[in-house]
Amino acid sequence: MFSKHFRKILLKYSIFFIIGIAILIYIDYVQLDVAMYLGKIIDLLEEKNIVISVQEEKLVEYIVTIIKVVLVVSVGRILWRLFLFITSRRIEFELRNKMFNHATKLSQDFYSHEKVGGMMTYFINDLSAVRMAFGPGIMMLIDSIFLGGFAIYRMFKLNVNMSLLAIIPMFGLIVAMIFINQSMRRQFKIRQEKFHDLSDFTQENFSGISVIKAYVREAYEINTFSRRSEELYDMNIKFFKKSIWVQILTTIAINAVILLIIGYGAILAINTKGLIGDAVFTAGDLSTYIAYFFTLTWPAMALARFLSIFSQAQASAKRLNDFLDSEIMVKDIANPTLVSSLKPSIEVKNLTFAYPNNDITVLDSISFDINAGEMVGILGKTGSGKTTIVDLLLRVYNVPNDTISLGGYDIMKLPIKKVREEIGYVPQDNFLFSDTISNNIAFAYDNLSDDEIINAAKLSDIYGNILEFKEGFNTILGERGVTVSGGQKQRISIARAIAKNPEILILDDSVSAVDTKTEETIIKNLYELRKGKTTIFIAHRISTVKNMDKIIIIDQGKIVDIGTHKELLKKSTFYQDIVKHQTLEEMMGGRENE
Amino acid sequence: MSKRKKVKDSQIFKRLLVYLKPYQKEFIISLLLMFLVVLVDLVPSLFIGKIINIIGDDVMTVEAKIGVIITYLAGFVVILGIALTLNYKQSVILQQIGEKIILQVRLDVFSHIEKLSIEQLNEEPVGKMVTRVMNDPDSISMMFTSVVINLIRSALMMVAIIIILFVINVKLALITLAVVPLVTVTAFIFRKFSRKSYQQVRDNISSLNAFLSENLSGMKITQIFNQEDKKRNEFRIQSRKLEKSFQKEILVFAFFRPITYFITMMGLVAVLYFGGKEVIHGVLSYGLLYSFYNYVERFFEPIQQVAEEFNNLQSAYASAEKIFSVLDKTPTVQDCEDAVELVDFKGHIEFKNVWFSYLPDEWVLKDVSFTVEPNETVAFVGATGSGKTTILSLIVRNYDIQKGEILIDGINIKNIKRDSIRKNIGQMLQDVFLFNQSIKDNITLNNDNIELKEVVAASKYVGANSFIEKLPDTYNYMVLERGNNFSSGQRQLISFARAIVYKPEVLILDEATANIDSETEEIIQTSLKKIMKKTTMLIVAHRLSTIQHSDKIIVLHKGEIKESGSHQSLLKQKGMYYNLYSLQFDEELKNQNSSNN
Repeated sequence: MFSKHFRKILLKYSIFFIIGIAILIYIDYVQLDVAMYLGKIIDLLEEKNIVISVQEEKLVEYIVTIIKVVLVVSVGRILWRLFLFITSRRIEFELRNKMFNHATKLSQDFYSHEKVGGMMTYFINDLSAVRMAFGPGIMMLIDSIFLGGFAIYRMFKLNVNMSLLAIIPMFGLIVAMIFINQSMRRQFKIRQEKFHDLSDFTQENFSGISVIKAYVREAYEINTFSRRSEELYDMNIKFFKKSIWVQILTTIAINAVILLIIGYGAILAINTKGLIGDAVFTAGDLSTYIAYFFTLTWPAMALARFLSIFSQAQASAKRLNDFLDSEIMVKDIANPTLVSSLKPSIEVKNLTFAYPNNDITVLDSISFDINAGEMVGILGKTGSGKTTIVDLLLRVYNVPNDTISLGGYDIMKLPIKKVREEIGYVPQDNFLFSDTISNNIAFAYDNLSDDEIINAAKLSDIYGNILEFKEGFNTILGERGVTVSGGQKQRISIARAIAKNPEILILDDSVSAVDTKTEETIIKNLYELRKGKTTIFIAHRISTVKNMDKIIIIDQGKIVDIGTHKELLKKSTFYQDIVKHQTLEEMMGGRENE
Repeated sequence: MSKRKKVKDSQIFKRLLVYLKPYQKEFIISLLLMFLVVLVDLVPSLFIGKIINIIGDDVMTVEAKIGVIITYLAGFVVILGIALTLNYKQSVILQQIGEKIILQVRLDVFSHIEKLSIEQLNEEPVGKMVTRVMNDPDSISMMFTSVVINLIRSALMMVAIIIILFVINVKLALITLAVVPLVTVTAFIFRKFSRKSYQQVRDNISSLNAFLSENLSGMKITQIFNQEDKKRNEFRIQSRKLEKSFQKEILVFAFFRPITYFITMMGLVAVLYFGGKEVIHGVLSYGLLYSFYNYVERFFEPIQQVAEEFNNLQSAYASAEKIFSVLDKTPTVQDCEDAVELVDFKGHIEFKNVWFSYLPDEWVLKDVSFTVEPNETVAFVGATGSGKTTILSLIVRNYDIQKGEILIDGINIKNIKRDSIRKNIGQMLQDVFLFNQSIKDNITLNNDNIELKEVVAASKYVGANSFIEKLPDTYNYMVLERGNNFSSGQRQLISFARAIVYKPEVLILDEATANIDSETEEIIQTSLKKIMKKTTMLIVAHRLSTIQHSDKIIVLHKGEIKESGSHQSLLKQKGMYYNLYSLQFDEELKNQNSSNN
């Protein structure tokens, strides 16, 4: 909880913590005065040998003092809440931002083994657990130590013997509770397991419901479910009875102490009545003492709660630390080559690649050149390694030195930002943000003009569709907005890449969800637009790449052949096979066999 | 709360009462006991006051005083004993009611879900349905065992205390009551603010989480477009907004609690002041004033508690709403009243001009007609979306058709009990699901009428026996979750045995050989040939080799039957089937070549 990631933030806010804690401690002490003055009033009222006017005067004096104390306590309580709780939220805020910043730096090898759901847990549950420890947790700790301590101190000051009589059994009770709690926790675990069993059963039943229905086993399943829930019921009742017994025993123990205090205190008061000096124990003292004793309830509870909050926070803090410590694999080298402009040519030389922490070779010593201004198709089946090539060109993963060069520079030595600045990319999964269409298209630049956005939309043949939406370019996409079809997504995603107007444009299987006519339009537009610039088309359909300057065929991580459509038709049997296959497929009207 | 919401809540409450009804008597007993507990609970404060009073008494002797104190303490002990006993009884009764309600609701929801049609079940994620069954009933039971009971307890407590206060001293009681409106108004104002800030917090949390989940999933795009800074800024803005709303909430709470404390303390101070004066003038004893003070202190507790119960109430309503939305779903496919059982089922199936669509006007089957004679094997071929699988699911009536007729043994499918159809038609599905239990139970699906002998026979028949026999516990070997300890081929064989052991008259195979290795496929092929002779069989398969031996092959294209006939006659037609066949034949040749390399 106090690791290097937390320390800096904590230090920044330490002054607020210290003020908050100081106020809290002061209030813990002062609030006990109310009980003291209650006792004084009782004593005052008990006094019979006193002039009424003096008595009334004194009463008013005590009352005013109590009002003052209450006022101070109320204001103090407002203040420490503001200091402690708002500070804990500030810390949470800073940590959250820090975590997100780290998340934006982490490379894809992290994202590929960590699920988004798991990362969300860091941001939601773990962060909140840590905050709880810094806010309410600290408050409970201070209260249990100081409020408890002050109350016990004041009790001892009133009467030592009585306090020993009261405190010793209470400590006994606490020790007993620790043991009882352990056994209760075991019981609770058993109960929890039964619950999980039932939950698993339900989960499995619903997942396999088609089988259950196909074989008409619903009645049996309902019976089993009913039997198991009854078992859970029995378990719950058993557990509840046990816990209520614990509760009763605690009540008995506490009340026994109260009886002891009242009995001992009353007899002491009767016996010391009329005496003078330290030994005197008045009726007022007794009522004050009882009030102090009742005050102890909260510190005891607070301590228990603090312990559970703290242990949760520790586990969470460890997870957060691990996350913040996770290594950023893809980053600039110490002295990257700074270049102002790159020629959009690509050279891949003897590139062999396996994903991090994985032995399987995805690309096996491939080499090819793409000259500036060329339009190149990369053709291959699913799993052949096409997308991997794209990822590597974008420096999503690290590659061995001197295997890929952009404009003559080794990609590993260029600043990552520069590499990505030069390349426009249309991903396979067409990820779009839940934002307006125009913001999605203008994702690469903040200052893109409306004309440029419209132009990009027109070129990717989505302009007409966008105008059909009620809000036009301001239509918000995604969950809370309009759902668009896969084909529309692809075209918006193409517009996003076109709007960037990059020197190199890579489209990863980006026209698979649009019909042939739209595909032709888009490709035609791209030919116009991309003159003099480099464009790479990843595809598995011949029709997409047929007219390109160069077609690179890969299969199982290896380059099978490179050439134009005509050349390949002549020399590559592999290519011929694909052509034949796809022609037949078109005849069948299905695209299922990729 | 808007009016409509209130009406809805009261409707929900009425529906919830139905679950309490069977335990009416116990609930009332528990209420009565609670009433006693509250009363008994209030006595000790009076005793303490009396004891303190005695200390200052000038008339009694020390011995007499001690005697009276001991009597009071003894009384205290007796009352404590009674209170605890009553409390125990009351809590146990209440808890039992609560748990029984949970049990009932849970069972109702589960049974209802079991009855829904496949179509409805597929709409809802499994996780959500599990929550409906496992977690939501808890908050409904909380409604009665916590919310309602605590509200009643609080009300009882307050009424009882007020009565006692009036008995002790009318003037002081009135002063105390004067504070009540202040506390109530504060609580009311606070509720207004807190609900608003709570809503804001909720909204901001969910939009931040949505932002996070989206941006963590799409981080690759952000990074590739070099937009990390932009996203960090956006996140910071969202995060700041959330923090601001938290601060508002903290501010509301920071003031509410201390202000309520201040007001109630002022009430107590007023009691002390005016009560003190009464004592000075000899109207009240200081001991009773002490008791009075104690009662007033306890009087304000319930007011705060009521505010807390309100949150529980909201979550109970939310859960109830979700549960009722499940219970209100009527199964889309239901038996009609005069539905008959299939007796002496032969296995004759006929589609007469069947039209079917999942969504209005998007016809998946268009005017489909065909007949399957008993013991015939019919295969359906076509591209994805051609309607093959739909036909199979209509035969077991997973859906109702819009136009035309489906006849099973000459009876319209709508007039046959659904269970009866499914009992007679065995289905081997593409997506094999195995349960986390023994192999035997996976094959019999826990049907005790099926003996191990039959299980072994079925497994031998489909060729599953050989690998099962090699397992440590053979048929008692546990299948892990979703069958993870078996290969997809083995899973398919187990599922095949499952279909066979029920001895169906008609067997449906939907892409049963799609995801398995060629070795297993061969095993299945062999057994399929055996079964073909004995039962009516309907097959959908990708690999044409599976269906070559069928009596009839029906070629579907976009929901229409294009060709039908035997393998040989279709090849001669040189139509779609021929094309399809040559396509696959080509591929097979190629695969052989590459495996030879």
